[in-house]
Amino acid sequence: MADATIDRGSNAILVVGAGLSGMQSALLLAQRGHAVYLLDEAPGIGGSLHLLDRTFPTDSCGLCISSPTNATYCPSIECSLHPNITPLPLAELLHLDGEPGQFRAQIRRNPRYVNTERCNLCGDCADVCPAVRPHPYEGDLAPQKAIYAPPPRAVPNAYVIDMNACIRCGKCVEVCPTQAINLDEQPTEQALHVGAVILSPGYSPFDARRKGEFGFGVLSNVVTSLQFERMVSPPGSTKGKLVRPSDGRTPKRIAFIQCVGSRDQTVGREYCSSICCMYTAKQARAALESQPDADITVFTMDIRTFGKGYERYWDSVAQEGIRFRRAMVSKAKQHPQTGDVALNYVNERGQPQEEEFDLVVLAVGLQPTESARELAARLGVAVDAYGFGDAGEFAPVATNRPGVFIAGCYGEPKDIPDTVAEAAAAAAQAAQLAPRPPSQPQGASPVSAPDAEPAIGVYICTCHRTLQGALDIAELERYAASLPHVVAVGVADDCCSAEGSGRLSEWIKAQGVNRAVVAACSPRLCQAELASAIANAGLPDALLQRANIREGCAWAHRDSPAQATAKAKDLIAMATMRAVHARPVGPQKTAVEEGVLVIGGGVAGMTAALTLADLGHPVTLVERDNRLGGQLHNVGFTAETPNPAQQAEALAQRVQTHERIALHLGASLDSFSGTGGRFQAELRNAEGERVSVTVGAVIVATGGREATVSDHRYGEDSRVLLQGDLSRALAGGHQTLAQSPFGGARTVVMIQCAGSRDENRPYCSRICCTQAVKNAIRLKELKPDADVFILYRDIRTFGMHELLYRKARDMGVVFIRYQLPDKPVVEALDSGLRVAVTDATLNAPLVLEADAVVLSTGIVPNDNAELARLLGVPLDSDGFFQEQHPKMRPLNFMKPGLYLCGLAHGPHFISETIEQAQGVAMRAAAYLSERQRTAKTTRVDVNKRLCSFCGLCVSACPYGARVMDYDERVARVLTDLCQGCGICAVTCPNKATQQYTFEHKAVLAEVDAGVLGM
Amino acid sequence: MRYSYYPGCTLHSTAIEYGWSTEAVCDALGIELVEIEDWNCCGASSAHSLDPRLALTLPTRDLMHVQALQADIVMPCAACYGRIAAADHKMRTDPAWRKEMEAEFQTAYIGAARPRTLVDVLGNDLPAEALAAKVKRPLNGLRTVSYYGCLLIRPPDLTNRWDDPEHPTVMDRILRTLGAEPLPWAHAVECCGASLALDRADVVAVLSGRIVQGANDAGADCIVCACPLCQANLDSRQKGISRKVPVLYLTELIGVALDLPGRTKWLAKHLVDPRPLLKAKGLE
Repeated sequence: MADATIDRGSNAILVVGAGLSGMQSALLLAQRGHAVYLLDEAPGIGGSLHLLDRTFPTDSCGLCISSPTNATYCPSIECSLHPNITPLPLAELLHLDGEPGQFRAQIRRNPRYVNTERCNLCGDCADVCPAVRPHPYEGDLAPQKAIYAPPPRAVPNAYVIDMNACIRCGKCVEVCPTQAINLDEQPTEQALHVGAVILSPGYSPFDARRKGEFGFGVLSNVVTSLQFERMVSPPGSTKGKLVRPSDGRTPKRIAFIQCVGSRDQTVGREYCSSICCMYTAKQARAALESQPDADITVFTMDIRTFGKGYERYWDSVAQEGIRFRRAMVSKAKQHPQTGDVALNYVNERGQPQEEEFDLVVLAVGLQPTESARELAARLGVAVDAYGFGDAGEFAPVATNRPGVFIAGCYGEPKDIPDTVAEAAAAAAQAAQLAPRPPSQPQGASPVSAPDAEPAIGVYICTCHRTLQGALDIAELERYAASLPHVVAVGVADDCCSAEGSGRLSEWIKAQGVNRAVVAACSPRLCQAELASAIANAGLPDALLQRANIREGCAWAHRDSPAQATAKAKDLIAMATMRAVHARPVGPQKTAVEEGVLVIGGGVAGMTAALTLADLGHPVTLVERDNRLGGQLHNVGFTAETPNPAQQAEALAQRVQTHERIALHLGASLDSFSGTGGRFQAELRNAEGERVSVTVGAVIVATGGREATVSDHRYGEDSRVLLQGDLSRALAGGHQTLAQSPFGGARTVVMIQCAGSRDENRPYCSRICCTQAVKNAIRLKELKPDADVFILYRDIRTFGMHELLYRKARDMGVVFIRYQLPDKPVVEALDSGLRVAVTDATLNAPLVLEADAVVLSTGIVPNDNAELARLLGVPLDSDGFFQEQHPKMRPLNFMKPGLYLCGLAHGPHFISETIEQAQGVAMRAAAYLSERQRTAKTTRVDVNKRLCSFCGLCVSACPYGARVMDYDERVARVLTDLCQGCGICAVTCPNKATQQYTFEHKAVLAEVDAGVLGM
Repeated sequence: MRYSYYPGCTLHSTAIEYGWSTEAVCDALGIELVEIEDWNCCGASSAHSLDPRLALTLPTRDLMHVQALQADIVMPCAACYGRIAAADHKMRTDPAWRKEMEAEFQTAYIGAARPRTLVDVLGNDLPAEALAAKVKRPLNGLRTVSYYGCLLIRPPDLTNRWDDPEHPTVMDRILRTLGAEPLPWAHAVECCGASLALDRADVVAVLSGRIVQGANDAGADCIVCACPLCQANLDSRQKGISRKVPVLYLTELIGVALDLPGRTKWLAKHLVDPRPLLKAKGLE
């Protein structure tokens, strides 16, 4: 393995860092047909994702959503199964030569000391290993052997040795039944030819020891958020129970301290880590689930829940009885007798207070990894002052080195939806530098044998003879041969190696078997190897059944081989009976169109159109307005870009001249039909003519706008204006400012969350705090003697925007916190305006005399109702479009082939909108590159004769894939939308709905075999 | 081992037992202390609350004075140490200020001598074996808590981090070498109230009271400290405390362990008399 050449040709892409971001980039590129090297320094792919018990705001890990189908939301399993992806664990990129399109990447592969092909995960090695060290994955709160199994979802799933802990005693080598261990394995180097490189090396948590006042590393009952995450995770260090490290007691009073290593000049981490408020909310909820009477306090400066749906999540968690203290903790002391930790802080009344807790959790921030800093230096990639990858506002994933792109937390700390979008954007940029791959070769059409008499072959795998003894293999052979329809029984030592898989194929063909039962390890494992064995033997997937005789029998009943064998017999009988009734279901394929319709010509729509056109797809771009550019014309200026309107012109110029883009200005969508891969759309253009287009995918980029409000005297008094007005006034410097209503203003009061984050618009618009701060800084720069007050509820200048907040305070901008229900009140006087506000920090009323009041009103969506109806896609409760899955599929609609990006999705900064637009283009391109749509093999089907048209399935389906057909009086299946979950099949009272591979007859036969015996 | 020695006002007066024990212990351990000629007040808490310039100029004069010896300056008192370290830091980091001071004292600042506190020297310069070799009466069975106060190792930029500013361990290490049993406790770097003893005795009573109570809760026989003001505050604010706790200077306990003859004189200077405790432990 180590010396094998793995060069996969000129259309290959190298992805460095195989966490969520790297995996997302790799999957999209692989789907489009690129060969992808997915490199990581860790022993497996998955990055930090596997550490997380659950993720906000869905409180799920994703796997459960798709059961019993393939793990469609688990990127590590998807990556491991994709033939175009070559995972390269334990590897480093040493250097990169050449030019975009033809890079030569020199990599080093570090030894694992365990052969992944041979390791069968039996664990005998770890049992005998005498070297114990703290378990880094559990935050050192549990022990681990020097030879250890990676986390359950890791790829590759094989043991690995930590040579720093290994004492080279050789016991594992002796005991390994498959001779998989080689303690003398050496690192190897090799060169890869790639067209582009994506850097997604992720983050490392801030070292909490650097904040000595909190005592991490000294006080045993002070833990980091990552340790806590593992604690509340069922497979984690304490198996999901809350346990105090000092004495094992269940903690009742739990404190979370926010911003540890974030927003902190004393440790050189001035930026905000963006995700900690939300993960604390998630962990607080998990703690309450584990310990319902827990008493939780969160110490925080601001609550920064700025993502889509986050404000509601926070509110719902807060309602569970969590106490918030707006205070910075100055000191933690642990009493050696009780183990309790006393925290010192200044309370809301301004008095110093000491309060005791059982357990303190430090919400640590994120920083670049040390190895990423070194990598950037080796590659000549520019980084910012903190070592994060540097990119620009209008090219948010491009580095200074052409052909090298960045994504994920390497750019700056970010949450999962933003990472998923950015990873797709990086993939879009990388894909443009490698030749477009040819059409995917279609696998040989499976031989279908629906009507032939079942001829079943049972293949028993001894897993490198490790199951011999634990099971009576000869008895299993005899028993299997006695089962009905079984025509052949074979025994093998390994079906999971390439050779073993080949032998299985040959055996199936030689024995004339038309259905196979493989009795081996858990069906979760070795899926790819067995699938290819079955396919090479010419059988459809569905005719393979598996019996779990290893984990389920041999391992679960180590001490009683007789019982284990009896159970194995039952499982083989069940799988055999299931095989008797299995129906071969072939992939249902439909051809797809290449073209894409993009609705909306703002920065999102233009970027998506250009990216798709550059990727070779014909694009139809529809804009309701008579010019392109959307909100870019209204922004005025941004912190990085003096004149965004110019950028709009440059983009528009490229759109208008691109040979693959057909532009329709002043046009709108009139009618829409079809399914993913083939939609028919009718447009009405500016001249009122109807234009028909047929496309494979549609991207919704209809934008949004700055909200207006009816209070704070807006609209009644010309001195009350919006942030957009101020931004435009400031954009042209002294000249435009002098001519604006702000020209003579000496005192400007800004009111944040005007009409936002309240009962009418209960979401945060994400950008307004930064916009206000940016405007305040510019105003102070142009008029240093002006007084600027910003009245806020929480300042949400997340990520690097925090540096602007600091700058504004340094320049003398005054920030005053208010809280609901006491909204600031604006009164008009002859001489000016008077703003009355209750300062929540001083707890005292203040009156400010102002020459102008500027409202931060937030972003509202455009009126999307009609478009949503035409496209058949949902809006969320705030009027933005509702994505398929807020975490793993933020840019997709549930309906295949339909996508969304930009302000249509929710409030975003320009750079985020561009990332989404590039990302959505890559998603559509990857989807259309398959050239054919393949329906799920676990989809459902309806027996019209049995359907009583009751409609239960329609209300049960979570995906809108079941519809009532009033003409035929049958509840149809929209195969494209069906995710194969099987809920409707369970619901159907007449058993008219049948799920492929889970047919009632087959499942019942399986159950009978198990319960009644053969 | 040779050092310039800055005793400060207290080591010749209110904390004379700290001065005596410092000199005796250093002498016994082969640490030569050369008292700075014509040293002046460091300014302590009064100067820097009234006149920031004077607060830096006073200790700068001492720094200028000591350059001839070219040895680190040792200050047992935490306040002296804080002020002189602050003056040294200013001289090293502010070129304009340095120029001004050099003109004022008509001396170039070489900065070869670093301000050090005595605990730093005893814990980090003196090898533990050298100390262990001199121990004649191990402090077996004496349960101690080490009290550094808020200033002895802070702020970290000034103290060059001679110990962890939040979780220091040097005194525990020395005490363990002496045979004592240092206990973990939560108040090692809490503030005793310092000079508020003069105008807000009520505040000091609360702050120092908590520290003494913490030592009591930890089960300590005595508190070990290294600052005259801390010692005075902790020693004098034990009204209402369930069990009175003697507050000893680190140097005094070293003197006991080294069986130095002068210790009877030092130990008689305390408000909470440590002698019954030492007697009970067989260390009189």
